[in-house]
Amino acid sequence: MKQSRKTEWTRLDNASKIFPSNCNRRDTKVFRVSCELYETVEPEILQQALDKAIQNFPLFKSVLRRGLFWYYFETTNIEPTVEEETNPVCAPIYFKDKRNLLFRVFYYHNRINLEIFHALSDGTGALWFMQTLVHYYLVLKHKENFSAKPPRLDYHVSTSKKKDDSFKRYFVGEGIMAKKFKDDRGKQDKKPTPYHLKGTRIEDNRMKLIEGAMSTKDILELARRYNTTLTIFFTSLFIFSIYREMAEPAKKRPVVLSIPINLRKFYESVTIRNFFTTMRIGYQFGRENSSFEELIQGVSECFQKELKEDQINRNLNLFMALEKNLLTRVIPLSIKDYSLRVAQKIFDQGITAALSNTGTISMPPEFGSYIRQFGITTSARRPQVGICSYGDRLVVSFTSPFQETDIQRNFFQFLAQLGVEIEIASNL
Amino acid sequence: MCGNAISTEEVENKWEAHPIWPKIPPTYESHLAFRILLFISITTVVLSLAVDIIFPSTINWPVLIVFGLISMWFSLSMVVKTRNNIPKNIMWQVAIVSVLAVFWDWKTGWDSWSLEYVIPTISVAAMFVMYITVKIMKVGVKDYITYFLLDSLFGIIPIIFILFKLVNVLYPSVVCIAISIIFLSGILIFQGESIKVELSKRMHI
Repeated sequence: MKQSRKTEWTRLDNASKIFPSNCNRRDTKVFRVSCELYETVEPEILQQALDKAIQNFPLFKSVLRRGLFWYYFETTNIEPTVEEETNPVCAPIYFKDKRNLLFRVFYYHNRINLEIFHALSDGTGALWFMQTLVHYYLVLKHKENFSAKPPRLDYHVSTSKKKDDSFKRYFVGEGIMAKKFKDDRGKQDKKPTPYHLKGTRIEDNRMKLIEGAMSTKDILELARRYNTTLTIFFTSLFIFSIYREMAEPAKKRPVVLSIPINLRKFYESVTIRNFFTTMRIGYQFGRENSSFEELIQGVSECFQKELKEDQINRNLNLFMALEKNLLTRVIPLSIKDYSLRVAQKIFDQGITAALSNTGTISMPPEFGSYIRQFGITTSARRPQVGICSYGDRLVVSFTSPFQETDIQRNFFQFLAQLGVEIEIASNL
Repeated sequence: MCGNAISTEEVENKWEAHPIWPKIPPTYESHLAFRILLFISITTVVLSLAVDIIFPSTINWPVLIVFGLISMWFSLSMVVKTRNNIPKNIMWQVAIVSVLAVFWDWKTGWDSWSLEYVIPTISVAAMFVMYITVKIMKVGVKDYITYFLLDSLFGIIPIIFILFKLVNVLYPSVVCIAISIIFLSGILIFQGESIKVELSKRMHI
């Protein structure tokens, strides 16, 4: 009884609100961060490391509950336990009315995996947790090597800042609604509908995961050869791989990728909660086949336009205004669920696929001989790419709910033709 | 797979030697019980129609059977939907059964048995069933208190039936109201704080 009085609760941040309403068995809104070691993972030590790591991330000890108007997180005393991998990739985590933790940690041979329900955290937050976990694990596992001078744990900030709802802190969302609608009325109906990917769904709603690991140096070299950045290079390559599979009549439609922007890079924040937004990068191929160079040029211009701070600000203020609007607030949750599902459908109509680059993961150099690579994978409604790099290992993870793998093949084939050596593995 | 980079066999070899993901057998959720129930429902409706045509009677049996089955499916679907939250499940059953009882009573010529017996009995029964389940299943206070509150408030509703003279048999309603008021005062006195916290969480806008 005493405990119930102490229970704390937290509102969901702006970006999190979409996930609980839209998760189902087909799209679980779960993503996975994995870390591959050079040695087999020992479960008992991993459990000890998890017990330590969770202390630094109290928000992760929450369950998701439904109120009358909104979802909310509630603290819980459920202790996370380490298990051997027995579920398909990105299996459901959140079940309506079930009180369970919103993440799971499990291992398989050399890999430590963390799967998180997206309402709890984004890629950056999850990676911080993973880094902390792997850090503790390696220090515990190789006590003899680290007893004299344990490597520095970089991610040390106060708990309150970690739980910060950075959306609320930076975006006011006042007086923008009317203006936005006025602006949009003139602009709408000009953009053509993007191309949509279709395929045969895999039985049991499984995800096909194809991982390609390559040398970071090689890729950077390649991007430099095309005079561009790594993200723009991969975005262009993904668009190109999709384009090559499009039927002739579909080619007059643009290929549009949704790409998340980590807002911590623009606004000072160390929150482990969601703090990202997405941008749409589209490219319309011309009547004659555009060359890859032209495509990169087009994509880079689109990036420049979308990454302008006032553009980001504008979009986020609009989302914030919607959240703060009294009318939206008093609509019962069950109706909100439906409207958020419609919102997701509309969003999906506007894109072809998605790509996310979490960037470079850095760990203390002492761990170099233990950690092989990191990878990031998400559940997907259509083919989706997750990229991250650690040292000289860059991992591109393709997830798709479809049987077909032509786009994936195009993607890796193109890289191979440019002389990049790729190690490929697939779960199905 | 990718020309000069790596062949399919190489992938296979690597796969066998050093698995990265476990092979997970497909899990098909079995809905056999559901299918049997659906089959029985359809068979019953068809047979009742057939019998009604062959042996006509003054009572419209097929309509009664169809409504009966709809009631059952309605109630059952809520049981399945809220299966992860027992107190919520019970509360939904109380609401559904009450509405259906009133509906049936009304459609079969209003004897007010629904108000006299069904509603008082089911709200009191729910109170006890809820109490026993949360104790056995060790459900936390915050997870059941809202439903206790709702059910005890629901149990006071028969006061309206008595005041507006909607019922002739009084004792089930009186017993129900008495138990509900005692129950309500109990939870308000002993768990008032929890209720306040719980409501502020659930009702935040």
